[in-house]
Amino acid sequence: MRERRSQLSRFSRRQFLIGGSAAVAPAGLPGWARAQARRGEIVAGVSERALTLDPANHYSISATSVCRHMYDPLVDVTNDSKFVPALAETWQVVNNTTWRFTLRKGVTFHDGSPFTADSAVYTIKRARDNTKLIKSFVYQDIEDVRKEGDHAVTVATKRPFGSLPAHLTMLGMLPPSAAANEDAFFQKPIGTGPFRFASWTHGDHIVMTANPSYWKPGVPKVEKVTFRFIPEISTRAAAIRAGELHVIDRVPPDLVQTLKGSPGVRVLDTPSVEAQRWIFQLAKEPVKDARLRKAISLAIDRNVIIKEFLLGYGRPVVSPVPPGLIGHTNLGQKPYDPDKARQILKQAGLQNVQLDWVLMKDLYPKQLEITQAVAAMLGEVGIKVNIKNLEIATAREARTAGTYDMFYSGWAHMPHDPDWYFGQWFTKAGAEKLTRFSDARVEQLVAEGRVPDAKVRQQKYEELQRILWEEEPEIWPYYSVAIYAISDKLKGYEARGDYYVLLSEVTI
Amino acid sequence: MRAYLFRRLGQAALTLAGVSVLVFVILRVIPGDPAKMLLPEGAPQSAVDELNRHLGLREPLWVQYGIFLRSVVRGDFGQSFQYRSPALRVVVERLPATLQLTLAAMTLTVVAGVSIGIVAAVRRGTGYDYAGTGLAVLGQSLPNFWLGIMLVLLFGVTLRWLPTSGFQGWTYLVLPSVTLAAFPTALVARLTRSSLLEILAQEYIRTGRAKGLAEQVVVLRHALKNATIPVLTVIGLQIGTLLGGAVITESIFAWPGMGKLTVDAIFFRDFPVVQTILILSATIFILINLVVDLLYTVLDPRIRYG
Repeated sequence: MRERRSQLSRFSRRQFLIGGSAAVAPAGLPGWARAQARRGEIVAGVSERALTLDPANHYSISATSVCRHMYDPLVDVTNDSKFVPALAETWQVVNNTTWRFTLRKGVTFHDGSPFTADSAVYTIKRARDNTKLIKSFVYQDIEDVRKEGDHAVTVATKRPFGSLPAHLTMLGMLPPSAAANEDAFFQKPIGTGPFRFASWTHGDHIVMTANPSYWKPGVPKVEKVTFRFIPEISTRAAAIRAGELHVIDRVPPDLVQTLKGSPGVRVLDTPSVEAQRWIFQLAKEPVKDARLRKAISLAIDRNVIIKEFLLGYGRPVVSPVPPGLIGHTNLGQKPYDPDKARQILKQAGLQNVQLDWVLMKDLYPKQLEITQAVAAMLGEVGIKVNIKNLEIATAREARTAGTYDMFYSGWAHMPHDPDWYFGQWFTKAGAEKLTRFSDARVEQLVAEGRVPDAKVRQQKYEELQRILWEEEPEIWPYYSVAIYAISDKLKGYEARGDYYVLLSEVTI
Repeated sequence: MRAYLFRRLGQAALTLAGVSVLVFVILRVIPGDPAKMLLPEGAPQSAVDELNRHLGLREPLWVQYGIFLRSVVRGDFGQSFQYRSPALRVVVERLPATLQLTLAAMTLTVVAGVSIGIVAAVRRGTGYDYAGTGLAVLGQSLPNFWLGIMLVLLFGVTLRWLPTSGFQGWTYLVLPSVTLAAFPTALVARLTRSSLLEILAQEYIRTGRAKGLAEQVVVLRHALKNATIPVLTVIGLQIGTLLGGAVITESIFAWPGMGKLTVDAIFFRDFPVVQTILILSATIFILINLVVDLLYTVLDPRIRYG
């Protein structure tokens, strides 16, 4: 962790200097200076294969990383979850259901056409109207998108949509000309991003070259980036150890020592925006009984999991929303007290409890080992656990059907905002085929927390989480830590908590 | 011969029709909802329903099959759910990688396997035989994933002679094809040895030697040709298997082949891609078998189809 902090602070200083010099230097740097500043190629190995380069049609983190180099969103998000301008220079809350985005001028797409309000209107409306798109459901609350001249758009929503800027960080802006033939466009896409699409060997790698007329001064810093898709972690690790890659993502804790011991390789880690969660089927006996859930919570030694299974690469949970995000608060760690657990079970007359715990096979690192350990902990207080390690699609069907007591899951707050999480898992309609959660007070707070006002949101989310912390409709065992390995030739690489691999401001 | 060929092609068409029905039904009977696999964990049920409607999965099964059959006849295997592009294109894009790997592994298998087999048979009971047989046992008993990882660690990470993974040129082909060829090479070596030994014990070989033919001619021209038939059968089957993809080898070497595509497509319930792959591989498998059967007549004139 210490290593990462120093890395970050160096990065910040460099950023500051670059930002400063860019502000002082005349806009047109001599050509040779720019060319000198930009050189080399970075090759990244990421864990998922990008299946599509349509920013509205996936929630793949690897594909988002790739797309972020070719397209710019209206709003960007920093590693500490601050929303900062990208293609929108500013945005204002007109009222609870209306936003106004003022767009950056002088930005061009890779084909030279200008980025204007038409692009923003097209991109957002497309995401809402084309319900075949994976992200479409997020934008269903949008009532209208109107252009206000060439460089501003107004977005009206059907109900308050405080997380709109957060969602827009994941929506790269497209040229309206894409509409003519979307299939062909996304095979060779153009955006306004720091890199231009060069080639794509499906299933293997994507190559992008620097966009020399990128609007952000001094960016990108390398001539070329290549994203290789290597789902198998041992293969990614071998490739970085062999010097073929400069960065890999999703390093599991037990590979950290090997990688640290490899010459030329450094390991970086950072707290992620992800909380692990073991959900209960709240309409089912016996786990619908809050006393049983409390006993289960007390019987689990979370520190053992973090220390023994994650080798320290996990953090104790103090509220369902991880640190850094709006709504995070410190409610104190959940205690480990098996005696009290036994006492509660005895008082409640809950004897010979048997639980089915469903896992989505191989989805989360160490999930089976952790589940077995927790099953043993629960066994200590007299609760018997049947572990059902099912293929993902089958496990999800079991969850829809409600034929489980506990379910091993996780939630990465990808848009850096908890509204989606709360709206999905803690409203009656959202949780209907999932946990069967239903609590009018919580539902009310989720709705009230959707307003754009950050202070109101923080207050509502704190209140809401206090109820959840008390009721324990799920167990939050730990916050995840994102681990990366990088080549020591890279300078300025920022280990991201949202698992993105971003290379436009990195040098080699 | 022509009548035989037509009969075989007719049988092939029937088999393919059977495969298509079976694949279609099995995919839809197993639990799992394609839209749910495409959408993120927390997508609302309305989004799941809407996407399933777009994917055409709300229609009755027989209607879906009718649409599928009508399209397939026109060469359209439908849109991949995951890739959002034609399933045939998705599959065909992976063909070059699979073909290269299959070709390289099979060339290695034939050259190494047959050579080891011949040497072991001809020098039966000598050190060559023991070494060859030992290698064959090793090749058949080493698990693929272990061999692959060891090769990567040795030649990729430690020596840095060869790339560890990827699909970007012939050097990338070496480690995966060696990994993949280990098992069939061993199989072919053992089979060649035993069938050659059997042939070498026959009378006509003794006759050949008695009339003063060079040992080389006896073994390579007279014995090997006859010993090749069982070997050819195995090679044919192996090619069929390899074309279907080599999941473990592909995973270790991040090789963008058919095997991993198939597994992922099944995993994510990408019905059109699974259907395309299975129908294509069944076609290839059937054709290779036919070619092997026809090759028998070339190798052994006594075999005739009428």
